[in-house]
Amino acid sequence: MGSMTLYVEKNSLIHHLDPLVKLLYVAASIALTYILPEPLFIAGVLFITFLLLVVGKVFRNSLPIVALSMVLIFSLVIVQGFFHPDNATELFAIGPVVFYEEGLTVALGLVLRVLVMVGAFSVLILTTRPDEMVERLIKKGMSPKIGHVILSVLQLIPQMRATMGKITDAQRSRGMETEGKLLVRIKAFFPLIGPVVLNSLNETKERSIALEMRGFDAPGKKTFLNEEKIYPYNKQFAGMLVIIILLAIVWRVIG
Amino acid sequence: MSTIEVENLKYRYPDTTKLVLNDLNFSVEKGECLGIIGENTAGKSTLCYALAGLVPHFYKGAYGGKVTVNGLVVRDHEIATIVENIGLVFENPFSQMTGAKQTVYEEVAFGLENMGLVRQEMHTRIEKYLKLLAVYSVKDKNPFDLSGGQMQRVAIASVLAMEPEVLILDEPTSQLDPQGSQEVFEVIEELTKGGMTIILVEHKMDKIAQYADRVLLLHEGRQVDLDTPENIFSRGDLTDFGLTPPVVTTIAKALGIQYPGTKLYPVTIEEFKRLGEDK
Amino acid sequence: MSKNKRSMWSVKLSTAAIVLIPAAIGINYLGKLFASLLRLPLWLDSIGTVLASMLAGPIIGAASGIINNIIFGITADPISTVYAITSGAIGLTVGIMAHKGWISSIQKAVVVGLVTGVVAAIVSTPLNMIFWGGQTGNIWGDAFYTFLISTNSPQWLASFGDSIVVDVPDKVVTVLISYFIFKGLPNSLTNIYRQDSEIEEI
Ligand SMILES: Nc1ncnc2c1ncn2[C@@H]1O[C@H](COP(=O)(O)OP(=O)(O)OP(=O)(O)O)[C@@H](O)[C@H]1O
Ligand SMILES: [Mg+2]
Repeated sequence: MGSMTLYVEKNSLIHHLDPLVKLLYVAASIALTYILPEPLFIAGVLFITFLLLVVGKVFRNSLPIVALSMVLIFSLVIVQGFFHPDNATELFAIGPVVFYEEGLTVALGLVLRVLVMVGAFSVLILTTRPDEMVERLIKKGMSPKIGHVILSVLQLIPQMRATMGKITDAQRSRGMETEGKLLVRIKAFFPLIGPVVLNSLNETKERSIALEMRGFDAPGKKTFLNEEKIYPYNKQFAGMLVIIILLAIVWRVIG
Repeated sequence: MSTIEVENLKYRYPDTTKLVLNDLNFSVEKGECLGIIGENTAGKSTLCYALAGLVPHFYKGAYGGKVTVNGLVVRDHEIATIVENIGLVFENPFSQMTGAKQTVYEEVAFGLENMGLVRQEMHTRIEKYLKLLAVYSVKDKNPFDLSGGQMQRVAIASVLAMEPEVLILDEPTSQLDPQGSQEVFEVIEELTKGGMTIILVEHKMDKIAQYADRVLLLHEGRQVDLDTPENIFSRGDLTDFGLTPPVVTTIAKALGIQYPGTKLYPVTIEEFKRLGEDK
Repeated sequence: MSKNKRSMWSVKLSTAAIVLIPAAIGINYLGKLFASLLRLPLWLDSIGTVLASMLAGPIIGAASGIINNIIFGITADPISTVYAITSGAIGLTVGIMAHKGWISSIQKAVVVGLVTGVVAAIVSTPLNMIFWGGQTGNIWGDAFYTFLISTNSPQWLASFGDSIVVDVPDKVVTVLISYFIFKGLPNSLTNIYRQDSEIEEI
């Protein structure tokens, strides 16, 4: 049973970057779409983000993630193109539905921004091992307990998925109603979720005991088994991102 | 001074009215294996928690008396300090995995990282205990991909790597299949031979008879008896406490095979055979 | 009262409370899967967060909510990250109300659900405005948004309406389900999360 991670093991420049630099890239690219909100500019950021995905050899892996945001994107185009309050210039019509230039421009900006967000996140999560990222964050001062929570959720979810299979099978064989009236189906929810909660809470109790017995609450300084990786050009990359953001702000203020 | 000293220990869980531990007094010597037996809800697990400091620090509740482990008064120290002296392994191997580590090797490292050991010392200890518990070959696997028996041995290795003076095993095989149980008992045998101080809670009486130097009989939170396995299992009233002696002892009773000049029956096959042949 | 306050906001988090967070996130996840399995018209993806708030208070509840969305953001659906703040607010609201005695009966639990739904909508609205011009991407919500916009309501009101029709029913049912489960839990599973208890000497 693996861990819930989208990480793709590849050997690329992006994979060898400091997770914190990639995290900074996510923040910077999203911030840029707000500092300079013109569609052309956002498209530029999006282009660079896609370039990074290609350099990281994970472009194809990012497509399913982008696909997840399609509902939102469609909804944005239709509702804004059709109904935006500033709509005045008619662009084209599909039957009775009229699309306006103003609304579609707004929608274009929003869609590009969603894509930048999803793309930048993809760069981070497809090329970074979760435990590497958590360890970096702990060394930068994040509580090791929060780190523990994050890593254990990643392992827990696949286990939960397996549990779900077992429970639904068991309940089906006892004649659970997944069809029928809404009230019937709501009632069927309890025998499904009830055992899960009891199991989880029992496991929580036992696991807390086990963790206590392994010094989880020890007040002293913690050490790490894994040696710290050396990241190439770490400061340079981080510096570059900060400078770009500053330049963008200056541009916005002056221009 | 004994490795473990328990004086007038009393305990009640929060929001309850019944004393789960009621005036316990005993001590355990270095290198000894103490068996603890008693029916369900007798308070065996709670006693283990009291030795490890989880009672009262983790559970809170009402506490009286004094427990000393390796010279440390449990009531007055944090669990993190106590665990460097006493380790606990319990039934469910699954919930004893931290859940945050990707490999068996890292899993064992968890406690050592918390203790703040230097890296070299960590590697030395991890290798040593993975080999001792015969799980070195799976060191790169995800802990949750192991069999129950392997997982339980990783749990034991993880606790032993912290090098406590005492190891508590609370029904360590009750959730394992026969194969897994066998693997774990082999380890327990090694450890008792190696002179580790062990507290063993077990429902399998033949295992208690085989490994324990002395046996503590608990019933409804009270200490009924503390004696050698032969003395405990030769008692006529064990069924009153919801217990049955090992099969060999029952057969020996039926056949009247006893230690000469005593009212004691053999509790292990080896002794049974020896006494039977003498007869 | 002042003692109660201190315990509700206690910053020293016990190991049990920390381990409750992943469990809560797991329960959130399964709640959502079961709801879609039964084709329920609700998300039911915050039962774990709500239970954690009832068991261990607002801080742990909020942490469960926030971490829940961050993790789904970085592993499955980047868009859910945006709503980490909403999930945190849900945990806070339920945790505070539970602590003030608002889960002592079904009627009160319904009120908790209503308040939580409204809080969720209030917090989500500015997020939806900032990120997607006011929409939620939920079909019913966006349909309502469209309706409000077409009646010339201001955009923020339409956006708030979009969230309300989605959040209030979902949170009322979620809190009720959690309430029934919580009431059925044995003492031995709940007493380890209480941060206020002291060791009594006997
Ligand atoms: N967290 C808890 N809160 C309240 N009561 C508890 C708690 N844990 C255990 N008890 C009660 O304490 C008593 C002793 O339980 P304990 O688990 O120590 O028994 P045991 O001898 O280990 O039983 P078993 O053989 O089933 O493991 C039982 O009556 C049990 O219901
Ligand atoms: Mg027990």
